[in-house]
Amino acid sequence: MDLSEWRRDPGSSCRLSSAVAAACRREPCSLGVDEAGRGPVLGPMVYAICFCPLSKQQQLEELKVADSKTLTEKEREKLFAKLDEAKDFIGWALEVLSPNIISTSMQQRTKCNLNTLSHDAAIGLIQYALDSGVQVKEVYVDTVGPAEKYEAKLKERFPELEVTVRAKADSLFPIVSAASICAKVARDHAIQSWKFVEDLEDISPDYGSGYPNDPKTKEWMESHVDPIFGYPQFVRFSWSTAQTILDNRAVPVHWDDDEEDGNKDNTPSVLTYFQRKTEDPKVQPHRFFTERKLVSLVNL
Amino acid sequence: MPGKKSRVRNSDQWVLLAPESAIDAPEKIDSGPVFTKLRNPKTGSAALYLFSSDCNQVYEVKAFDEDYHSWFIGQSVQRDGRLLFVTPLDPLFLVLPYLINASEKQGKFEPADQVIKDEEFPRCASVLKCPRTLQSLHHITDEKEMGDRKFYKYNREKTLVWLKKKVEQTVKALKSTGLSVGAGIQSSMLIRSKQVTEATEEDYLRYAHGLLSDYIPMGLSVELFKFLELPAISTNATLNEPPSKKRKLSDKPVEAEEDYTKFNSDSKEKKPTKMTAAQKSLSKVDKSGMKNISAFFTSKNKGTTKTP
Repeated sequence: MDLSEWRRDPGSSCRLSSAVAAACRREPCSLGVDEAGRGPVLGPMVYAICFCPLSKQQQLEELKVADSKTLTEKEREKLFAKLDEAKDFIGWALEVLSPNIISTSMQQRTKCNLNTLSHDAAIGLIQYALDSGVQVKEVYVDTVGPAEKYEAKLKERFPELEVTVRAKADSLFPIVSAASICAKVARDHAIQSWKFVEDLEDISPDYGSGYPNDPKTKEWMESHVDPIFGYPQFVRFSWSTAQTILDNRAVPVHWDDDEEDGNKDNTPSVLTYFQRKTEDPKVQPHRFFTERKLVSLVNL
Repeated sequence: MPGKKSRVRNSDQWVLLAPESAIDAPEKIDSGPVFTKLRNPKTGSAALYLFSSDCNQVYEVKAFDEDYHSWFIGQSVQRDGRLLFVTPLDPLFLVLPYLINASEKQGKFEPADQVIKDEEFPRCASVLKCPRTLQSLHHITDEKEMGDRKFYKYNREKTLVWLKKKVEQTVKALKSTGLSVGAGIQSSMLIRSKQVTEATEEDYLRYAHGLLSDYIPMGLSVELFKFLELPAISTNATLNEPPSKKRKLSDKPVEAEEDYTKFNSDSKEKKPTKMTAAQKSLSKVDKSGMKNISAFFTSKNKGTTKTP
């Protein structure tokens, strides 16, 4: 798997894909969607699709792809190599969502939660397959959030496809298992060779599993907080683990859409409308200055 | 601003925009540019000014100050996100309040250095060192020369004429910058392809007067307003104050000023209206023993309470 394109700019999201087999353009295909790295506070989240003609289901099963969680890293690598070799009937595509994209999406002014982000990535990949001429007929998705809602959303978006959203789809449908292997392998590769864009001297690579409940991960995060900037881009800032550590160890930063100190300060108490104005309104600076937020100074 | 968390202002660096003339190197040592507190001519309280080297020119210091701003300066962070502006100021604005005070107290010709004196702000005397100050003092004073000394006395009429010129200059500047001066508030952040409402000459004058009033004592601002023959805005005062409740105290019953009902019916007699079927059937109901609904709202004091 060649992640070099994404490595050049690991702050962005990146799509990688195999060549589309001729068989996939000719025959009706089934397509599986799965993800890796949804829970960790560190590193990217990877979305993957795998597709293969319905007529080749037997051959796909012969590859013995299974739920990636039951496999060791080595076995996954082997299976991915097999999938990649079967390029005459199997195709795949990946979307690597960097931790930076996850942080900024979830923390922007109009918040975009992780579910929406995941759904959009899945929709984007299905659309990519359609655009590449794959004769997609059936879609199998491992669910994110409530399965019924997700299924309805996908059906509305792709009315011509048979969409099945199911929990544990990666152990039920071989095509989803194949996608889960692609996703997991890509995530492993991305993490193993993570290049910190920040200029950090001897950062310890010993951060454990990357999951927030891992004590090693927590320890690593606590020892890598910069009081001003917080974390390197490797960390998902939007995770509550990251937030809590920032609240305790970093300098407080106030944004104008912060709920706790925004609303209270900007909305004057009702009582102020009934108070006698002690200050002569004429003492107020002219609106030329107030409109431009220009104030006189007494001290430097 | 009231009700706001007091922010710490211990800036160890500030970001400042100043004309080069303000920070020119001094000819002599110890006479470089210096920040000074002087009396603000409008409010009478302290404000920050800057004298360039050798007091050649005086500048006012204003700051752009908005919430949620910080600076990244080189390899450091400055929590104070203010941007300081150092802009040239006509020194006459600074001496004007002293001249007015002196003329109210003494009303006689005095040497400039005896008028421009302030125990609280001793540096105000430096304003007289600006070459421009003495050169232009004749705009606002009458002068008398005795021997080699000059004596000054505040002249109200001259000052108003001088200020009127300032207003006209400001109007010119406002027009050339395309500033929105109309009564309606427009965002200064948005660039419009065309002016929504054409500002009138009066809008410009009013705006310029307001702007200038930030630099002169309030009494003079009122005089200038009259001098410019600007019509007063009557609605302003009533808009800010809530309606008084004093009216209740008068003995006269409160009545509507106009009788709106007279337009609704053309005859004074009420015609018996036709009843609907439902109303008819209701009217036939036996109402004996039923209380009128208004009976429930009358005071019950009469019969029930006993006086001890």
